[in-house]
Amino acid sequence: MLLDGKVPSGPIKEKWDKHRFELKLVNPANKRKFDIIVVGTGLAGGSAAATLGELGYNVKAFCFQDSPRRAHSIAAQGGINAAKNYPNDGDSIWRLFYDTVKGGDFRAREANVYRLAQISNHIIDHCVAQGIPFARDYGGLLANRSFGGAQVSRTFYARGQTGQQLLLGCYSSLMRQVAAGKVTMYPRREMLDVVIVNGHAKGILVRNLITGQLERHAADAVVLATGGYGNVFFLSTNAMGSNVTAAYRAYLKGAFFANPCFTQIHPTCIPVHGTYQSKLTLMSESLRNDGRVWVPQKADDKRPPQQIPENERDYFLERKYPSFGNLVPRDVASRNAKQQCDAGKGVGSTKLAVYLDFADAIKRDGRAVIERKYGNLFEMYEKITGEDPYTTPMMIYPAVHYTMGGLWVDYNLMSNIPGLFVIGEANFSDHGANRLGASALMQGLADGYFVLPYTIGGYLAGTPKLNPATSSPEFEASERAVQAQVNKLLSIKGQRTVDDFHRQLGLIMWEYCGMSRNNAGLEKAKGLIQNLRAEFWQNVTVPGNEKDFNQSLERAGRVADFLEFAELMIIDALERQESCGGHFNEAYQTPENEALRNDEKYCHVAAWEYKGTGKAPELHKEPLVFENVHLTQRSYK
Amino acid sequence: MSKHINLTLKVWRQKNQKEKGHFETISAPDISTEMSFLEMLDVVNEKLTLAGKEPIAFDHDCREGICGMCGAVVNGRPHGALKGTTLCQLHMRHFNDGDTIAIEPFRAMAFKIIKDLTVDRSAFDKIIQAGGYISVNAGGAQDANALPVPQDKAELAMDAAQCIGCGACVAACPNAAAMLFVSAKVSQFALLPQGRPEAARRAIAMVREMDRQGFGNCTNEAECEAECPKQISITNIARLNREFFKASFGSAVK
Amino acid sequence: MNWLANTLTSSIGKKLLMALTGICFCTFLSVHLAGNLTLLSGSTMFNSYAAHLHSLGVLLKVAEWGMLLLAAIHILTGLTLFYQNWRARPQSYELKKRAGGRTLGSATMPYTGILLLAFVIMHLLNFHFVDKSQTTIYAIVAAAFAKPIYVVLYVAAMIVAAIHVSHGFWSAFQTIGANHPKYMPLIKIISLAFALAVGFGFGILPIYISMGA
Ligand SMILES: Cc1cc2nc3c(=O)[nH]c(=O)nc-3n(C[C@H](O)[C@H](O)[C@H](O)COP(=O)(O)OP(=O)(O)OC[C@H]3O[C@@H](n4cnc5c(N)ncnc54)[C@H](O)[C@@H]3O)c2cc1C
Ligand code: FES
Repeated sequence: MLLDGKVPSGPIKEKWDKHRFELKLVNPANKRKFDIIVVGTGLAGGSAAATLGELGYNVKAFCFQDSPRRAHSIAAQGGINAAKNYPNDGDSIWRLFYDTVKGGDFRAREANVYRLAQISNHIIDHCVAQGIPFARDYGGLLANRSFGGAQVSRTFYARGQTGQQLLLGCYSSLMRQVAAGKVTMYPRREMLDVVIVNGHAKGILVRNLITGQLERHAADAVVLATGGYGNVFFLSTNAMGSNVTAAYRAYLKGAFFANPCFTQIHPTCIPVHGTYQSKLTLMSESLRNDGRVWVPQKADDKRPPQQIPENERDYFLERKYPSFGNLVPRDVASRNAKQQCDAGKGVGSTKLAVYLDFADAIKRDGRAVIERKYGNLFEMYEKITGEDPYTTPMMIYPAVHYTMGGLWVDYNLMSNIPGLFVIGEANFSDHGANRLGASALMQGLADGYFVLPYTIGGYLAGTPKLNPATSSPEFEASERAVQAQVNKLLSIKGQRTVDDFHRQLGLIMWEYCGMSRNNAGLEKAKGLIQNLRAEFWQNVTVPGNEKDFNQSLERAGRVADFLEFAELMIIDALERQESCGGHFNEAYQTPENEALRNDEKYCHVAAWEYKGTGKAPELHKEPLVFENVHLTQRSYK
Repeated sequence: MSKHINLTLKVWRQKNQKEKGHFETISAPDISTEMSFLEMLDVVNEKLTLAGKEPIAFDHDCREGICGMCGAVVNGRPHGALKGTTLCQLHMRHFNDGDTIAIEPFRAMAFKIIKDLTVDRSAFDKIIQAGGYISVNAGGAQDANALPVPQDKAELAMDAAQCIGCGACVAACPNAAAMLFVSAKVSQFALLPQGRPEAARRAIAMVREMDRQGFGNCTNEAECEAECPKQISITNIARLNREFFKASFGSAVK
Repeated sequence: MNWLANTLTSSIGKKLLMALTGICFCTFLSVHLAGNLTLLSGSTMFNSYAAHLHSLGVLLKVAEWGMLLLAAIHILTGLTLFYQNWRARPQSYELKKRAGGRTLGSATMPYTGILLLAFVIMHLLNFHFVDKSQTTIYAIVAAAFAKPIYVVLYVAAMIVAAIHVSHGFWSAFQTIGANHPKYMPLIKIISLAFALAVGFGFGILPIYISMGA
């Protein structure tokens, strides 16, 4: 089946305006008659819940943390893009649109990306009005920096804590609506199912994480804003609780999952240092502006970095990409580091790291300048590793960072299940096969503040009201199924812990479905995952009981879903016989080892439909048409 | 360089809010000094699980010192003794072989214990609901650069806005007061022109809600400032006091 | 007037009351100390200072009742804070260490406060509520400090007062909102200097008199 993204007709610049005009409106007095569930209160969900409350809807918002202020969005460091062109360096909505489509390696929907670029400016206006203390110049106007290899300075930032400040702004708007009685907040709840009534999403089932009680919530529409699934790799820069559960359970209920194999690996993270390691920490990309990446020329060189003379070092990025040097895009930098380590030239105790050296920069600019630019990052690095990057080169290695794939949505951000909307990192929409730096925050807030609040009105106004009861058979069935799974997990009482399985799954995914993939490896991984999943259901041990604050049980449910979802990623990766952005299949590369797309056959979104346990999922394609940005091969030589 | 150390933990175990808690001694052998404190607890929990015992419940999420979810009192110090560091960023190289480490939850009447080291900090959300926002709806804002903000003011506002809401200030305060938390939010908005229109209402409402939630009264002990992982200064508390007096005696807000 | 009650009974309001009354006491202490230092110049000077004070008549009475009111506010508010703050942490820590914010003065405020209250009562009984018709105030003072126990008690009380003031003084500024990065270090120095002045100034008098006697 060919999927229809419901992109409005007309010139790209007018689509959104035209569409907003054509959308049906809910009369202001009627808004209070509609209940909307928003799952997730990160930048996407928090902004959506607050804005829907402002408009007058009754909102129920859910998150698994103890407060909406802690969503994973809080960890974003670098900044948020907008096409303001304040620095007068030639930026425009069109350029932001163009960069995002090209950066995504032509696997995103043009109309969505254009709308995102249009809205980007309103986001900054709103965030400043909320009191977010963005960095400013001496004159008191907003400061910008260039980020992620962009050739214009369009990134707004609040020190190294932009995500935190944006999320706290969004959280404060949300709290204002809670105080106004328009939003009811349900923290420490985990969504475990979407309830479908008459083909429409009309509710969810959640577990109260403190009491263990299963709760039913009904509404006129359901919004998922549950973030990305990077933790399928176990080790990632995501927060520990980030999961695929909400999205995956929606998939099990019929929502299509799009491009699951598109994951982003960030090149500058602190390397893994032991098997007990629980997560990886990102070091801002900005470090590559001054740091030089190198490895020893000789494999297995055990000398400390200071003792390796200049002529025995290989500054491989500068050597291979003379014009972009250390500033090549994330996927290129990551893959190159892996190649060096695969060739035995990795450094550090695990041999899975490359140096990021500031010696030259310090010699050139002086320590004070470097300290002013990166002081807080150096401090964080030292806290974690115990080494001083001013005197010893940093060690870095790529790590899983972001997932471009997600639930399929149309131009209205509605999935193929009517009434089920998906926003933020949880959907697949705007970043194609590779996301540019500082554009995830932009997308989450665009979706939540400015897109969904309109489009959901169109759905509500155009659909007969159902007023589903939580006592209906659909809710009964959903609760029974969830309860059965909980009971099953607790009753296995095997020999291996949940984390143990998760770690093993992560290793499989990293090895065979990580930075670079090949068909044989993917096939092998598929078998390994199936075996691991079978063992999980025989041999996992989940202590404690269900009517309790039971963190092991929470994790068990998430890992169970990762174990299934991982296979879907593999299937998707195998189906896409090309390389593009974050998906690099070794069989498809240019002579310079760049990703080689196959636009003839794969210029589409791959959306997967669940067909039942043990059955292969069915592929649906949404063809991608590029009328405004022409398909070209990326080159960073 | 990494080495391995053997530790003894004295951990607070409490089944739920109602039941009484107690200290349990748990040995933590062979801990790599490169682990973070929470990774050390993960390792201990794995062992407990395999031994058929209940793992230690503790809150955490980002593990990079920004979400504010983690926190416990380690050897008498919220987030441990290292300055400007959350528990998730504290690494085991700061401990020695043979150490005994006491781990307790943050304690305050306003922070009820949920289980073991996990506490309920929803009182903080209630305080923000009382006025920790600027009343602006999405869609109506003017151009972001229409309102210049002096750089030094913006920086001071950012210093305050860095608060991660972890509750260490309350845990550290001998009076279990929440003034540093409240003052950080009030200061952020008081320093910015966007925040001025509602400043009086905000200061009064947030202070009243703080009192209602059962936090203690500030007596300027300055322990909060010394323990805050984001090193937020008590000059913010003085600013909150000023804002509160200005609002109480100088504005029409009742 | 509901707003006033709401303001003054809030946590910050109570601190304001403590700060304002505390600043009044600091002022009183300064005047009292200046007067008492006349003791160093001998009995005539001191007696004439006392006579001068008493000649104020009604004004003195107003001041005395005013002090009593301030004391009542300071003590009652202080006790309320003490009680509420104790209640704010129903279960205390098994192990709690300081991080460097707390000082001897701040940690002992309620206790030094209660000790000072006891001292003030004793002090008033010794020198205020006594029959001065047959003797001079200097004679009473000299007689009292002839007993070593009084010297010890008074000196000890002055150390307690110094400790109380060492926190109270700067804390009052912090409470009224006068914390400025430029001036706070100075206020802290003055706070310490003032505490030392109170301790030494009042403290040497009993010793001096007992040695003179
Ligand atoms: C270290 C790091 C740095 C980054 N830096 C940048 C940057 O500089 N610029 C940029 O643009 N992007 C950056 N990103 C990416 C960006 O932060 C995220 O993509 C974005 O914040 C995701 O927002 P979200 O609202 O979609 O999801 P999240 O913020 O992940 O929120 C998910 C929400 O869903 C809830 N939830 C999840 N599952 C469930 C469930 N089953 N039941 C109930 N609730 C659930 C959670 O409680 C949470 O509230 C960074 C990412 C990382 C990891
Ligand atoms: S886990 Fe987020 S601050 Fe520690």
